[in-house]
Amino acid sequence: MGAEAEYREARSVSGRGAGPDRFEHALRGVAVDTQGHLYLAGDSEVKVFDAEGEMRHRWFTSRPVYAVAVDGEDVWVGEEGQVEVYEVGGTRLDEWRDGERLGLVTAIGFTAAGVLLADARARCIRHYDLEGGWLNDVGERHRKGGFHIPNGVVDFAVDADGVVHVANPGLHRVERYTAAGELLGRFGRFDGRDPEGFPGCCNPTNVALASGGRVVVTEKGGPRVKVYDAEGRLEAVVAAGDAFDPACKNMDVAVDPDDRIVVADPVRLQARLFERVGVAA
Amino acid sequence: MPPRVLLGLICLVLLPFPAGAQPDYSRPVDVAPSEDAIGEGYVTPVVQRPLPLSAARQLLDLALLGAALALSAWIALRRRSRSVGVALTLACLFYFGFYREGCVCPIGSIQNVVLGLAEPAYVVPYFVIGIFVLPLAAALFFGRVFCGGVCPLGAIQEVVLVRPVTVPPRLDRVLGAGKWLYLAAAVGLAVAPAAYRDFVICRFDPFVSFFRFTGTFSMLLFGGLLLGVGLFVGRPYCRWLCPYGALLALASRYAWRSVSITPGRELDCGLCNRACPYGAIEAMRAVRERCLACSRCYHSCPVHRVEVEGPAS
Amino acid sequence: MSGMTRRDVLGHAARGTVLAGLGGMCGFLAVKARGTDAWQLDPGKCVNSRLGALGVDVCESCASECVLGLSAVRAVNELSQCGRCYVCPAYYDVTSAVGPDGLPSEKLCPRDAIERYPIGWADPDDPANNYYEYVIDETLCNGCGRCVMACKEPYGLGSIRLEVRHDLCLDCNRCAISTACPEDAYERLPVS
Repeated sequence: MGAEAEYREARSVSGRGAGPDRFEHALRGVAVDTQGHLYLAGDSEVKVFDAEGEMRHRWFTSRPVYAVAVDGEDVWVGEEGQVEVYEVGGTRLDEWRDGERLGLVTAIGFTAAGVLLADARARCIRHYDLEGGWLNDVGERHRKGGFHIPNGVVDFAVDADGVVHVANPGLHRVERYTAAGELLGRFGRFDGRDPEGFPGCCNPTNVALASGGRVVVTEKGGPRVKVYDAEGRLEAVVAAGDAFDPACKNMDVAVDPDDRIVVADPVRLQARLFERVGVAA
Repeated sequence: MPPRVLLGLICLVLLPFPAGAQPDYSRPVDVAPSEDAIGEGYVTPVVQRPLPLSAARQLLDLALLGAALALSAWIALRRRSRSVGVALTLACLFYFGFYREGCVCPIGSIQNVVLGLAEPAYVVPYFVIGIFVLPLAAALFFGRVFCGGVCPLGAIQEVVLVRPVTVPPRLDRVLGAGKWLYLAAAVGLAVAPAAYRDFVICRFDPFVSFFRFTGTFSMLLFGGLLLGVGLFVGRPYCRWLCPYGALLALASRYAWRSVSITPGRELDCGLCNRACPYGAIEAMRAVRERCLACSRCYHSCPVHRVEVEGPAS
Repeated sequence: MSGMTRRDVLGHAARGTVLAGLGGMCGFLAVKARGTDAWQLDPGKCVNSRLGALGVDVCESCASECVLGLSAVRAVNELSQCGRCYVCPAYYDVTSAVGPDGLPSEKLCPRDAIERYPIGWADPDDPANNYYEYVIDETLCNGCGRCVMACKEPYGLGSIRLEVRHDLCLDCNRCAISTACPEDAYERLPVS
């Protein structure tokens, strides 16, 4: 089985409310840049917090946001029908609008030469070059409707080798593809009792990558955050049980440069950070 | 497009959530896979909604009620025949009782009507207004003909009455006040604020469990007990408990025509008095408030039999 | 007999007054009346389908309180909202042990009233890659509400709800379920 790691909650950032550093209705995306700054996307806003938890920037987007990702100095946000690119201060740099291919962008990732955008309407991932030209789709081999996504959110993460790790909740697995759409492998199975498996009807809902090829996933209906190693074996249950409100669903997750796990709590509208405290044999 | 029952919209997005926690369950994209994604020409089946109760059925029931009331009045006042009356009683027992399962009935409609008067938001359907008013209107003209020939609760007690025992008049009066108490309780609880509101007439309807062939033990027991008593005592529910009977008694006081036993030709023999199981005959006259128009008195009256069947030879 | 006695006049007057009173009352009620009503339950109030009521016991009042032997309430799956998942939490008891085929070993419905079958194009290699239709057999369902609770967000998509079936409902003046419902979810709605 392997050693199970222990995690504890370090701190939380933002929350529900009317203040400038808070969100009112929804917190849908979370991303971390190389300096450990947190980018929280919710309502129709993006808020940037530094490593101490102070808000540094905030700006409004033209439409409600569903995803956020950071590429160097650029902040990409996914919305309905388009993605927008901002620089960190909030100036809008670019916008890619494609009503047909970008039905609802719920995740954004970057490869060396391209951008990957998840379309929750078509249930697949669109691969674009850096100029905005569409190259191919990932996941359309799952019948005409892409991945099995009953929960309305397609989430994926791209590693340094350009391998796309996609959560396929309807099939209870995490799949690996090349950006060209070729299936490389997968792991995961349904299990309502064994924590190694994915419970309920559709889990995992969101996925992120940590160092060493580890995969972090979040689940709903018994909300949980788990870490799997590069071979697909369960390494740790970061948080489960009472840690999250049972109504939580589609919790976006990211990993900061220090391997702290950042989870977007959709009930408290907070980004909650979990850090590893030790290894229990 | 078949008629459907109007439902509150199942709008998950707008449903209220307990104070504080409010995750966003909005659905900007469809949750169900598209028919295209499912493939092979799949078409999402339409979820069947069963056809609602047709208004035609209720119109028919109202018409039949009116016809039965008219027939009962004719039998009690003109035809004056016990056997024809029994036939009508059995027919109504079968139709309104066992076939229509005794609900909604005029007795219960009191509650709907008073609630409709008291509460602005409460709507009484046309049908219920109709079944409340028709027997009362009939009583205003012809006495309690509803009780005699039509009411299924009365009818079921009629058929079990095998050996009528006369109830002492004073006891009868005292017990008879029970109708008014029950009426007061039913009206009070029907218009009570929603948390306390209860349609007790329906809850304690003793015979509906027989009509439905199913019911709680207590309902069946209550009905069974009443029928047991009803073997010997004529129509205990009608005389002492029925709240609608109280209203009918009141209305029949002003009846235009009512049961009269060979008026002007009484023999003072007292046979009608003994025949009446409901103690409704006083001084050779049928007392309108208590007379249930069952036609037993004619059946036992020698004068009437001579008139109808001819002189005995 | 010529002319009317005072008694007759009083009798007529009394009848007329009562009739007028009845008529007035009828008129008042008829103005706001409508054709006919039927009992229906509001899924937004029912604790089995209402959002936010999580971790509570299933309320089985609809199945147990109806005066009929088999309740007139049925669970209905709104197929246009159903995710057609391989592992349906309303069909399977997802907390039961996993069988050799990778699916839960036990079903949730105590009367086995849900039917499951693949629809559309069938993947020859991977049965999990199919879409499955879940249809509730109304001759078996008794409206107990377990599948409704199991399908509710976030466990499922909330496509199953309880509904009164009007070809079965006796339309009691005093609905026993309505009186027993702890959430006061029953109301009489117009039939349109």
